Amino acid sequence: MPATALHKFITFIGLMSILHTAYSAAQHRSYLRITEQEFIALPIDILIQGIISLFMVMYGVMYIAGDFKEIRAVVDLENKSWETLRNLPSFQIFNHRGKSLAS
Amino acid sequence: MLGKIKTKQEKGEIIAYSESAVVNNAAVVEYCRISMAALSGSTAGLLGLTGLYGFGFYIFAVFGLWAMLLLKAGGQWKKYFISRRNLLTSGFFGGLFTYVLFWTFLYGMVHVY
Repeated sequence: MPATALHKFITFIGLMSILHTAYSAAQHRSYLRITEQEFIALPIDILIQGIISLFMVMYGVMYIAGDFKEIRAVVDLENKSWETLRNLPSFQIFNHRGKSLAS
Repeated sequence: MLGKIKTKQEKGEIIAYSESAVVNNAAVVEYCRISMAALSGSTAGLLGLTGLYGFGFYIFAVFGLWAMLLLKAGGQWKKYFISRRNLLTSGFFGGLFTYVLFWTFLYGMVHVY
C-alpha cells in the first residue's frame, strides 16, 4: 500500500502534537521554577500525549518510507514470459526495406 | 532485469530470494529505524527521562517499531523478510547513538533552558 495523503496528514498532526508536548513540558518546568517546587515527574497527561504522538509519527513515517517487496525470486519470474528472454535490445531493427516498399 | 539471486538451503529444499527485493526491504526498514531513533530520542528528552529510564524507553521504542513493521507486513513476514529476529536486532547500537544525541539535545532545550 503506497503512502497516501492520510499518512502524511497523520505524520504532520503527530509532529505538531510532539511540539505541543514540548511546549507544555517547558511551561510546566517554568511553573515549578516560579512556585519553587522540586521537579519529580511530568504530569501524566503530558506523558501520555508524548507517547501517543510518537507512535502516530512512527506509523506515518513507516508508510512514507515505502513498500515491501516479495523476496521470493519466483514471484518476480512469474510475470515474465519466454518472449522476454528472447528480447535482445542490441538486435532490434528499426530500418528495413519495408519502408521504401510502402511509399 | 532480475538482479542477483540468493539461495538458502532449508530442510532439504532450496529457496531462491531475489536480491533486489531484499535490498529494497532492508532500505525501507533502515529508514524507519533511523526515524524511530530520532523521534523516540526527542520524545524521551522532552518527557524528561534520565538515566536508565531513557535506555528503557529506547528498548520500548525498538519493540514498538518491530511490532509495527510486522503489522505493516500484515502477518506474513515470511513473504518479506528472511529472519524475524534479525529485523529486531539489526542496527540496535547505531540507532542508540542517534537516540542519545536527540535525547540529550531535547532534554537540554526543554528542561535545562
